[in-house]
Amino acid sequence: MSTDAANSFPSPSTVSTLTPQVPSALGSRRVFWGDMILASLARLGAATILLMLVALLAVLLRASLPSIRTFGARFVTDSTWRPNELTHNKRDAQGKLVRDEDGQNVVEIDPPRFGALPVIYGTVLSSVLSLFFAVPLSIGTALFLVRIAPRVSLHLMAVVSFLVEFLAAIPSIAYGIWGVFVLVPLLGMNMLCGGLILGIMILPIITSISRDVLKAVPRVQIEGTQALGATWWQSSVQMLRYSRAGLFGAIMLGLARASGETMAVAMVIGNVPQIKASLLFPAQTMSSLLANEFAEANTPLHVAALSEVALILLMMSLLFNVVARYLVVGKQVQTA
Amino acid sequence: MSIATNTLPGPRVRSIGSERYRRRALLFSAIMHQACIGFAVVIVLLLALVTGYLLYLGCASISANLFLEDVIPKGMPGYPGGLRHGIVGTLTLIVMASSVGIPMGMLTGIYLSEYSSGSVLAAPVRFICDVLAGVPSIVVGILGYELLVRPMGNQNAYAGALALAFIMIPIVARTTEEMLRLVPKSYREASIALGASKAWTILRVVIPAATGSVVTGVMLAIARVAGETAPLLFTAGISQYLRGVHGPSPYIHLQELQEPFPSLTVQAYIFATGPLKEQKYLAWAGILVLVLLIFILNLAVRLTLRNRHKV
Repeated sequence: MSTDAANSFPSPSTVSTLTPQVPSALGSRRVFWGDMILASLARLGAATILLMLVALLAVLLRASLPSIRTFGARFVTDSTWRPNELTHNKRDAQGKLVRDEDGQNVVEIDPPRFGALPVIYGTVLSSVLSLFFAVPLSIGTALFLVRIAPRVSLHLMAVVSFLVEFLAAIPSIAYGIWGVFVLVPLLGMNMLCGGLILGIMILPIITSISRDVLKAVPRVQIEGTQALGATWWQSSVQMLRYSRAGLFGAIMLGLARASGETMAVAMVIGNVPQIKASLLFPAQTMSSLLANEFAEANTPLHVAALSEVALILLMMSLLFNVVARYLVVGKQVQTA
Repeated sequence: MSIATNTLPGPRVRSIGSERYRRRALLFSAIMHQACIGFAVVIVLLLALVTGYLLYLGCASISANLFLEDVIPKGMPGYPGGLRHGIVGTLTLIVMASSVGIPMGMLTGIYLSEYSSGSVLAAPVRFICDVLAGVPSIVVGILGYELLVRPMGNQNAYAGALALAFIMIPIVARTTEEMLRLVPKSYREASIALGASKAWTILRVVIPAATGSVVTGVMLAIARVAGETAPLLFTAGISQYLRGVHGPSPYIHLQELQEPFPSLTVQAYIFATGPLKEQKYLAWAGILVLVLLIFILNLAVRLTLRNRHKV
C-alpha cells in the first residue's frame, strides 16, 4: 500500500544545516558513523538475499552438470528411472539364450538409467489433482468468508479465518502421518491419495488469498449488480469475474505450493517412479524422489541426476511463483 | 426470451425478464449459497479431523518419558523410550538458525523499508524475497548438503541450521518490512527534526514503535521452520540420541554439532514410516508436541496483532 510513505526520508544533512542546498562537499555536513554502519549492514542484508538466489541456482546447476552432460535433453523425455544397474541373460535375435564356450549363460549389464519423465508426470498430475479438490472448496469458502459470514457475525468470520490459517501452520509431516494412518488404509498408497492430501494442504493458501482478493472488490460493483436484480449467486459470479486475475494468482500460488510439497506426499504416494493413466497406482513426485533417494545416492551420476531433478523442481516453482506474484500484486495495484 | 439477442453490442444478455428464468436463477443461487456454507463447513471439519485424530492418538501415547528419554531400541527395558533428543535437537537447530536468520532477515527488512527509496535494487530484492519464500524446502536441503555436508564429509547440525536460516530470512525480511512501513512517517520526521541521525531514528524510534509486530513476524518464521522436515533430511540427517543428554551435562557437546544431529520432525518421519507400532505412536506424540508449540506461537501472534489493531 504505502510504497511511498516511508521512502521520502528527510536526510539528516538537510535538517542539521540551515541551508539544505549547500552540497556536502563544502564540509558543512556532519558524518554519522552510526548511519554508515547501519546503512551498510542493511545493504549487506539486501545483498545476501540476491546472493541466496544466485547461490541456490549456481550450486544446483554445478551439482547437476555431470547429469546434464551425460543425458542432455533425454533426461526429461526418458521414462525410466533406475538408479541400480540391472543384469539379465543375453539373448540372440531369435530370443534364445546366448551361451559362452563353457555353456554358461552370457550375462549383460544394463547401466543405471535416469529419466525424469515419471517424476515430472507425478508432480504435474498430483498438483493438478490437488487443484481439482482444493479450488472449488477454497473459492467457495472465500465467498463464504466475504459474503456470508460477516452477515451472521464478525466473530464467525474471524474464527473460520483463524481455523483456515491454522490449517496452513500444521507442518507437512503431521499431514503425512495423518495420511498414513487415515487415508492410506482407505485408499492405499497411490496417486489419488497423494493428490488428496496435497489438496488439503493447499486449501488454506488459496482460501486466504482469494478471500483478500474478493474483499478488494469495490462495493459499487456488488451493489450495481444487486440493483440490476441479480441473485446472490449472480452477483457472486460478477465478483469472481472482476477479481479473476487475483484468483488465478491464488491458484498459481497453490500450484507452486503443491508442486514443492515433500514430506506428506512422500509418505502416501507409494514412491514408484512410473507413468500410469490410472490414479490408483503408486507414483512418485520430484520432491518425494529427492526425499527418498538423495541421502542414499552413492554414485556421482545418481547424485547429479537427483540434483538435476531438484533444479527442474526449483525452476518450476520459480515460474509458478513469479506468475502468481505478478497476478496478485498486479491486481492489488489495479484496485487500489 | 424477449431481451435475449446477440445483435446488441456488449456482452450477450440472457433472458432475465421471464418469470421462469427468474425462479430458476433464485433456486440456483440458493443452492450455491448453501454450497458455499457447506464448503466452509468441510474445511473446518477437515481441520477438526486432522487435529482431532492427532490429539486422540497423541494424547494416548504422550507421557513424561517422551521428554525424558532418548530412543530405546526394541528389546531393551524402557522400549520405546522418548524423543528428548529430537526435542532438544530441534530447539538447538532453531536457536542456531535464528541467530543467523533473524538478524539477516531484519537487516534486509530495514533496507527495504528505510534505505531502498530510489534504489534500483529495491524492487528486485523485494521480489526475490517473495520468490525465495516459495522455494520448495527440499531444494534448500540440497543446497545445505552441497555447501556444508559435502565439504565436511558428513551430515551435521550446521548444515541443518543453514537450511533453516535460508528459509527464515525471506519471511523475516518481508514481515519486518511490512511492520516498519506501518510506523507513521511523522515519527521519523519528528526524530530527524530533533537532530537525530537516521540510524538513531531507525534503531530508537522506528523499530521500538514496531517491536510487537516484528516479534510476531519472527515467531511466525520460527513456527514455520520448527515444522520443517524436508530440508533437514540430508543436512542435519538422522540421529537416535544426543550424547550430551546422557553425559554429565544436560546440554549438547559442541562436538556433536559436527555429527548427524537429531530433530523432532525427522525422527517422527523415520518412526511413522517404520515398521514398529510403538514407535509410530511415539511419532504421533512428538508431532502433537510440535503442533501444540506451533499453535501456541500462532495464537500469540494473533492476539498480539489484534491488540495492536485496537490501539
